[in-house]
Amino acid sequence: MEKSLTSNESLAIITEMIAKAKRETVGDGGFQMLLWGWVVAICNFGHYALEKMNYGAPYVVWLLIIPATLVSFIKGYHLSKKAPAKSHLTRVINQLWIVIFVGMIIVLAFMGQLNFHQNPIILILAGIGVFGTGALVQEKIVRFGGVFLLVSAAVSFFLPVTDQYLLSGLAIVVGYLIPGYHIKKKSLERV
Amino acid sequence: MSEFKPLDPLLHSQLRLAVMSLLLSVEEAEFTFLKEKTESTAGNLSVQLDKLEKAGYIEIEKSFRGKRPLTTCKITGKGIKAFEAYVENLKKYIQ
Repeated sequence: MEKSLTSNESLAIITEMIAKAKRETVGDGGFQMLLWGWVVAICNFGHYALEKMNYGAPYVVWLLIIPATLVSFIKGYHLSKKAPAKSHLTRVINQLWIVIFVGMIIVLAFMGQLNFHQNPIILILAGIGVFGTGALVQEKIVRFGGVFLLVSAAVSFFLPVTDQYLLSGLAIVVGYLIPGYHIKKKSLERV
Repeated sequence: MSEFKPLDPLLHSQLRLAVMSLLLSVEEAEFTFLKEKTESTAGNLSVQLDKLEKAGYIEIEKSFRGKRPLTTCKITGKGIKAFEAYVENLKKYIQ
């Protein structure tokens, strides 16, 4: 025999279940942000250091992007397959980052036309992604990361190309890795 | 003055209401997710899902993940409308 519900009990069930679903279906515990944050920061600092050491091909460090892309896609695919519930929010965030990734590829493909001032534009795209993600998951620190990336992009336009790599590395640490670790901490608190 | 209407008996049940609230918040959910979040037994959950499906409130898709059977549930447009009407009605009772 089913227990009869009072109006308040009904309301409590609705609120509790919506909160449970929301808590457990958002994101990947910051995995993608941390992966890309570390890889892009290392590439930027590496490029800057190699160029300062007068190494002939400092851009080789960016080859690290290839295994990172593979890891990112494989992990993303497995997580989405394994997820016991799919949320609209996760789907929107995934699609936002796919579009931003495509945008970055386009910018990189035409960096010659940009006189190699691609870094500020990459920072703008990353800033939009991080701010958008922060707005969707309602985390102030993540939104702050997005703003920091956008401000860094504006500053970067005033710098010589070599110094842009140093600033981009710093911007990624503050605007990407700090929000990434914040998301990771938040998701561990939910377990 | 607002009029009291009887609450939809299909939704005015602890487990069915919990399932509908969960499904309203996600795009789709697996049986195991619903079982874990509602802390129900597999047997009871199956019976309640069947009732919701027969009413057209949810869609149930049965498939396989590898060799294991996989049941995925999704709320329908009719289910969303019924849930919204239930909440509207509930508000009147609380007021």
